[in-house]
Amino acid sequence: MNKIILIARREVLERFSTRSFKWLMIIGPLLILGLVYLFLSTTTSSKKNWKVLIMDKKEIFDGKLTPSKPKNLTFDFINAFVEYDDFAQNEKYKDYDLAVQINEKILSNKHVIVSYKERPPENIQRHLIYFVERRLEEILVDQFTDLSVDRFRDIKQSLKFNLKDANDPRDEKSTTASWVGFGFGLLIILFVFMFGMTVLRSMAREKSNRIVEVLLSSVKARQLLTGKMLGIGFSALIQFAVWTAIIGFGLYVFRLTLFPDMFSAGFVADAVEQESLISELSNQSPFVELIYSQIHYTNMLIFFTLFFIGAYLFYGSFFSMIGASMGSESDGQQFVIPITMLLFMAVLSGYYHVYYPGTVLSDWLSFIPFTSPMVMMIELSNGFEDGSAWQLFLALLILFVSAIGMMGLAGRIYKNGILRFNHRLKLKMLIKWTKK
Amino acid sequence: MITVENISKYYQRQTILHDVSFSLNEGEILGLLGPNGAGKTTLMRIINQIVVADKGHITFEGNLMQEKHLLEIGYLPEERGLYQSMSVEHQISYIGRLRGMSKTDTKSQLNYWLEKFGIQAWRKLRIEELSKGMAQKVQFICAVLHEPKVLILDEPFSGFDPINIELIRQELLEFKKKGHAIIISTHNMNSVEEICDRAILINEGHKLLEGNVHEIRENHKEGIYKISFTGNMIAFANALWAGYEIIDKEIHGDDDFSVYLKMRQGNEINDLLNAVINEVKITGVETVMPSMEKVFVKTINAEKEIPHE
Repeated sequence: MNKIILIARREVLERFSTRSFKWLMIIGPLLILGLVYLFLSTTTSSKKNWKVLIMDKKEIFDGKLTPSKPKNLTFDFINAFVEYDDFAQNEKYKDYDLAVQINEKILSNKHVIVSYKERPPENIQRHLIYFVERRLEEILVDQFTDLSVDRFRDIKQSLKFNLKDANDPRDEKSTTASWVGFGFGLLIILFVFMFGMTVLRSMAREKSNRIVEVLLSSVKARQLLTGKMLGIGFSALIQFAVWTAIIGFGLYVFRLTLFPDMFSAGFVADAVEQESLISELSNQSPFVELIYSQIHYTNMLIFFTLFFIGAYLFYGSFFSMIGASMGSESDGQQFVIPITMLLFMAVLSGYYHVYYPGTVLSDWLSFIPFTSPMVMMIELSNGFEDGSAWQLFLALLILFVSAIGMMGLAGRIYKNGILRFNHRLKLKMLIKWTKK
Repeated sequence: MITVENISKYYQRQTILHDVSFSLNEGEILGLLGPNGAGKTTLMRIINQIVVADKGHITFEGNLMQEKHLLEIGYLPEERGLYQSMSVEHQISYIGRLRGMSKTDTKSQLNYWLEKFGIQAWRKLRIEELSKGMAQKVQFICAVLHEPKVLILDEPFSGFDPINIELIRQELLEFKKKGHAIIISTHNMNSVEEICDRAILINEGHKLLEGNVHEIRENHKEGIYKISFTGNMIAFANALWAGYEIIDKEIHGDDDFSVYLKMRQGNEINDLLNAVINEVKITGVETVMPSMEKVFVKTINAEKEIPHE
């Protein structure tokens, strides 16, 4: 074990001594943050004025919303309820961008549905919600309490806002959550490919400069393989941890700089209330929702790590087989193509699962070790129904058992192939070495 | 110290080694000789447990060779390798730690060897910054750092200049003095004659010869004598008449010669001396021992003529 640790330690130190590893550690997360920034900043609409139809059938708001006219919002009241389709398609409502549904029991259920034709930006959502909430507070205080509005704010329950696309009120086309999982799965595949290739190159280099013979006179082939795989895998985890830290910090900075008014103290007085409102607000924009609210970071990161370890050991075994058995550094390239194809298939299976989640093929893909890290991350981001979380653990179990099996095969090939030089690698040869 | 018994190794229906046996004793340097592809490297890999033998076994100090015994062996393969981006001290320390040395021992041994070879200044240099000869020294240190009881060296002198060859030779003799055993595989027959106590010769996986280096040469004597004299060469040749065959001659100067000759017709050295003593002034007489190179070539060629199963 001590020798395995020594070998793993050397691999980690070697990765850290290379410039590309250090650069990737910084540039990788910055690139992702750049993309996130791009998406976040483009969610701001160019529309100057948003026309809002308040559907107040019982005239609870009494045709009033704000004492003064807001800058970007214009309100019209109607004492009827307009269906989503009607609002979206009827010529009569073509000038309206948003419709706020004040339901008959709003004073007790505190639920407001806002439908839109074009998704409004954060500041518009915030203002609209603010006005509706304040108006409702006035009505509640006036009708049911002797309290002041400020005192009432301290003890009141928050409103529940639900933003719906008027063209897709059931949110059937929404795959936002799936794409979050897809992103995590893609990251697994990317890391597996990057560090799998590192395993291959490292072995090929040790073979070509012949140090492997010196090492094998001190350690067993399996120890050397295990140490190398662990060391490079650990480097990958460190890389990922740094990425997580930088991206996490970057998102925090974005939240403070890109949406400073979203959290302004004047918006809501109570800090606790502010927090709950933040979560409600962020629920309104798909990308912000995705970044700041929808991702259950703890769960995703735990299972990302587990699936990454499984996938790395599983696919890394293939890379190590090629690295150990190639006759020269260029010889094994042809065998890298099928592994790359398998990884590409995993990405495609994720894409398939986003759009056809309930099919038999999708179910199979979520358990096959080649595709499960990708598909299960998508499943995880959508959440498991009660009693079905076993699927996640079964997929993990299959992945780890397969990885151990593949590592066993890789060990055999490594033992037989690592001291063979200057030959042309053939599939027949690989199969033969697995039997010895 | 090490006993190799009936080791055989086959690969793709080819015999790499066939029933090879020999032993290595304490304080002994054993030359492992053979042409390219004879199976020497495979044999050394088997002793180092890098490759598993298909038949036979190896014992270390009377016990069946196990993984723990590898810590008592130092190995310098023919095709040397080092991590190019590692510094000299890290490279040596890493190999030392893999060979079971503690951090403290590794450090003190590292200092000892760097000082001994006068290369302390290289300590922080990366391997890629070293010349081939410098890297060879680092590799040698990696092999001996843990003071192994047995050293297995494949072509230890290749890549070294004469000064460094002498340095390595002296180190090996010092190791031998301390009671360590050494196996050297080399094509440099001079070094075999100079430092090896015993030698084994293998060809196409078969052991052809084994024995004390002096005895091997003695056994391969061809009855050739070298006579050095001053005087007239023609008079010397005439005096020999038909009883002797001149093989070769060396001219050292005017009337100063050395002649290599073989006896004929049952003549002996005394007859030869009687025949020429009145014609020239004899300055030296010696029996010519065949070089290990000659023994090597002759044995291999003879073997080629015998068909194997």
